[in-house]
Amino acid sequence: MRFSFFLGEAWRSIRANAAVSVAATVTVLIAVFVLGAFIPSFLYVQSSVDEQTAKIDVAVYIADDATVAQTNAVEARIDQLTRQGTLEGSAYVTPREALESLREDVDPALLQDVNPNIFPPAYRLDLVDPDDAKSVAEGFAGLPGLASDVGDPDTPGVVYGAEEADTLLRAATFIQWAGLALISILLVAAVLLIGNTIRLSIFARRREVEVMKLVGATNWFIRWPFVIEGVICGLVGAVLSVALLWGVKLSLVDPFVDDSASPLTASGPETIGFVSLTLILVAAGTLVGALGSGLTLRRFLKV
Amino acid sequence: MPMSTDSPSTPEERAARRADRRRGGAPAPEPTPAASADEEVAPPESGRAARRAVLRPGDGPMVVFDNVAKIYGDGGGGLQDVNLAIDSGEFVFLVGPSGSGKSTFIRLLIKELDTTAGTLSVGGRNLSRLRANKVPYLRRAIGCVFQDFKLLQGRTVYENVAYALQVIGENPRGVRRKVPEILSLVGLSEKAGRYPNELSGGEQQRVSIARAFVNHPRLLIADEPTGNLDPETSIGIMQLLYRINRTGTTVIMATHDREMVDKMQMRVIALEAGRVVRDQKQATYARADA
Repeated sequence: MRFSFFLGEAWRSIRANAAVSVAATVTVLIAVFVLGAFIPSFLYVQSSVDEQTAKIDVAVYIADDATVAQTNAVEARIDQLTRQGTLEGSAYVTPREALESLREDVDPALLQDVNPNIFPPAYRLDLVDPDDAKSVAEGFAGLPGLASDVGDPDTPGVVYGAEEADTLLRAATFIQWAGLALISILLVAAVLLIGNTIRLSIFARRREVEVMKLVGATNWFIRWPFVIEGVICGLVGAVLSVALLWGVKLSLVDPFVDDSASPLTASGPETIGFVSLTLILVAAGTLVGALGSGLTLRRFLKV
Repeated sequence: MPMSTDSPSTPEERAARRADRRRGGAPAPEPTPAASADEEVAPPESGRAARRAVLRPGDGPMVVFDNVAKIYGDGGGGLQDVNLAIDSGEFVFLVGPSGSGKSTFIRLLIKELDTTAGTLSVGGRNLSRLRANKVPYLRRAIGCVFQDFKLLQGRTVYENVAYALQVIGENPRGVRRKVPEILSLVGLSEKAGRYPNELSGGEQQRVSIARAFVNHPRLLIADEPTGNLDPETSIGIMQLLYRINRTGTTVIMATHDREMVDKMQMRVIALEAGRVVRDQKQATYARADA
């Protein structure tokens, strides 16, 4: 009974204070919307970076005409690096296996007529630390018997993906910080606006509060409706922004993703499910509301 | 002499009511179709409410001022050397010119103010020692009626009265049962859905009294309840307070209404410049020297 009573009291106050409550709700809506747009984008970038860094391994391509001795020299070097702890592991990839693994990422139709022999046999090296990629690659580069027509100009026969990954990482970090800053600002604004709503609400009801105290209302009995009022603003703002995000997803993101779904994105980076996102956003809105009213009550409702 | 004609005035009836009070049940409000009164009115105190109750049960003095002084920061107003006791079930008028300390007296009782010196006890509780978080429970045991009614403007008559019950955690069923009962006691059953600004002053004061009495407090304090009302209306309010007093509730009423005090012939405590200048049983508004 208590809760429904407090809910009724909060609703009474929201109606009395409609304009201000709407303003606070809209602020929450905007903040949560940005948060909701940011989380999937951030995860997308993060996941792309992870995917790329996972690919920062070194591939050593063996020329078709390499002698057994030359191949053994490459293997000896791999063993040595493994013993040193630089490599996590290594694998020999035949041309056929290379083609098979490509089939997982790319539309098989495109690869139908491809001759496996365009992929030279290779050793794939898993690095313990991706930062070693360059030095490891350079260590192999001078060895005879590598397929020198493959790989970077300064490391013929050896391929490693350091630079792209570097750029990507820097971009991801930037996006991450800029997004966090924007979200922080918006959330703080939302908390302050909710706080302001509650302050006005307390002011409008100061006479009532006085009467409540006279009939023996405890402090929390007086406070709860105000807290709930803030939480309702936060919750409604969050729910509306989730609805808006859903609309944006349906009308803008989904068609775009579908149209550009080239064979190369058949397995794209992971983002987040809409349900989890909704839960996070609603929780964030509620928290913002509770925080806003809680802080204001501490300052302005000395009961 | 009592103005109300329908109150029980025989000693037997009064004794019965006092006994009712001792049992811990609430006193039955007037009027009394004797058979049904008990089951309809007596609200058994819930365990929680009883544990939190601030006032101690019993028939000792309801209010004791022991050398009480209240001195304001600016040195003005206040009270000095107040020594008096008010018994349970008494009806007391508090008279005196503006600024004589009547409001201070009342605000000390509900611990809106703290004494500067001396000891003030209500229902056996020393208010100086009452922790701030217990103050709401003190106020639940005291009904308050004010000159300006202090009703919640955005709420109907019914909601105003219900609020006092909701504050003490009464369940919705209890609210639905008790509010109409008390509204019929004050004669406002018909106006339950009206808002305070749609009512006359007298009606608003009845709402205020209903709210003060719906919890059946042991002490009812009225600060110039008839101050804004015409004489006809004042009589009605007065009768209501008197009937509440007859149920065993101690009533302390600050007033300027000379005629009323003279008619009622109750105990009068007169204040002047913060001191008690007269404390007399069955007295009149002015000193009866002649």
